[in-house]
Amino acid sequence: MARLRLENIARDFSDGRQVRRVLFPTTLELVPGQLTVLAGPSGSGKTTLLSIIGLVLRPSEGRMFLDEREVSALDDEQAASLRLQRYGFVFQQPMLIEGLTVRENVLLALGVQGQRPQREAVKKADELLTALGLAGTALVQPRMLSGGMKQRASIARALIKDPAILLCDEPTSALDAESGQVVMKILKRIAIDENRVVIVVSHDARVFPYADRLIKLENGAVVSDTTENYMAETKIKQ
Amino acid sequence: MVLHDRSSTAGALLGVVAIVFLVGQQLSVLFGLLNFMSVLVDHSGADAWVLSGNLRNVDAGNLISGRYLDRVIGLREVAWAEPILIGNGLFRTPDGSFESVRVVGMRRPRLVGGPWAFAQGNERALLDLESVAVDRLDLEKLGQPLPGTLTEIGGRRVRVAAVTDGARGFQGTLVFASLDKVKDIAGTPPGRYSAILVRFQPGADAEAALARLRAVLPECSVYSTADLSRLTRRYYFTQTGIGGSFGFSTMIGVVIGVVIISLTLYTSVLGRARDFAVMRAIGGRRWDVTVVVVSQTLIITVTGLFVGFLLLSVLLNATGRSAIPSYFPSFVPPILAIVTVAVSLSGSLIALREALRAEPAAVFH
Repeated sequence: MARLRLENIARDFSDGRQVRRVLFPTTLELVPGQLTVLAGPSGSGKTTLLSIIGLVLRPSEGRMFLDEREVSALDDEQAASLRLQRYGFVFQQPMLIEGLTVRENVLLALGVQGQRPQREAVKKADELLTALGLAGTALVQPRMLSGGMKQRASIARALIKDPAILLCDEPTSALDAESGQVVMKILKRIAIDENRVVIVVSHDARVFPYADRLIKLENGAVVSDTTENYMAETKIKQ
Repeated sequence: MVLHDRSSTAGALLGVVAIVFLVGQQLSVLFGLLNFMSVLVDHSGADAWVLSGNLRNVDAGNLISGRYLDRVIGLREVAWAEPILIGNGLFRTPDGSFESVRVVGMRRPRLVGGPWAFAQGNERALLDLESVAVDRLDLEKLGQPLPGTLTEIGGRRVRVAAVTDGARGFQGTLVFASLDKVKDIAGTPPGRYSAILVRFQPGADAEAALARLRAVLPECSVYSTADLSRLTRRYYFTQTGIGGSFGFSTMIGVVIGVVIISLTLYTSVLGRARDFAVMRAIGGRRWDVTVVVVSQTLIITVTGLFVGFLLLSVLLNATGRSAIPSYFPSFVPPILAIVTVAVSLSGSLIALREALRAEPAAVFH
């Protein structure tokens, strides 16, 4: 269980001549047991916000708390260790490392700081792959998998550490509609059944029905934050 | 990653092999030449050498008086002292042409300063006044004189009685003969020698014995065998351009290796920048990225060392008994390996710098 609190988080980028604000002060509280979708057009600031939440980018202003501990001012090494302990990431592209098997890619999330994965971890990796519909692929090279299978393998990599927070950047954009739905159902289950903070960045409207909370951004600012069940709403509209 | 990124691995491996092989080959020739420079000194079996004063190398001494022999033998630290005489002459080959040779004369019956290994015959052959020994590696140059062949050196009749194995001088072909024969060939004044070789009594204090020799022979140069060997090697190394030449070619080998390793590892890291960003994003520290790059470099380096030394040993075995100078002292491989590892790691620095630049935020695009 984890709880994230953002207080007036803002981010500027500079090209050396001028400073441009890409995220205006934003205050949010993100809780477990919900699938939160950050939506908005390109350049709206959603990826920047996700990067700050994921501790891979420092805010220019504001503070962020993870379980009441301020984490917005951590140095690189502290942030890396916290990401390792508490976070899971699913990227737009699966970003599996070629040359490693699917199982090794999944275990990489545990061994990235040099730890040798234990036998239980190997078992857990295989169980995760099976649960995600990838039974029998443990020893396969990523290039042998379809796009959807790779993305599910990347979800397995994110989940192997039992992260309290799962951040997903456009996880369905490189997938066909059917694979995208499979991935979203998995993410939804992870959020609800496993009581994790799951945040999905997407501008794909097909993702919205899976959201428990939909935060829309435009031009670097939150323009709406709705906690309705969008699955239900969409069904009603349909 | 090492196995997956085969082209980069092969490139970096080539760099390491180039360093080991090229530098190793250059060093083996250099050490081979160094051996040639001091071959007579190193195989003399003496503890000390007495030569003319102000000596710069063993080949550049003036003749010394034979009376010094009595002073040397009179010291209680000395077990024996033997003169040698080195001169030059023209060796008449079977086809009537001439080859310049360096003739080394030893006093019978001890034959100190003479050959130490034979391909045909033995040192007893040199007890005969007319007999000479030529080296196996010079047989072709001297027209393949078979044992028993009668010929001339410096217009004096000699008989090839033995063939030595590996007696090759830096200043040219070595021919061993009796002291009297060399006197005759070189036209040396009576009672003059090139050097006096001294063996100390068993258990004698070598430094004290050397000091005593210097005290009784103030006009001479007195060296321990090891010091004379070093003096001679240093002289040729610094005065003939060999040091600079081999230093330069060795440096070229190292530079080629560094460039190949740097470029291939850098290209490899550029191609995998995304992987390093993923590593960083999912919790890898800069240290972990460093470990990956350094481990990859070390795996390639160790493999390259194995391949390089294997190729080098094949080369050295193939050339070991040829006329090409080739010698690889046992202390060189560990040093070469350490230098190669250091060079490989320095070659990976640019790649490491690029890998450490991978920003975890780059994965969210």
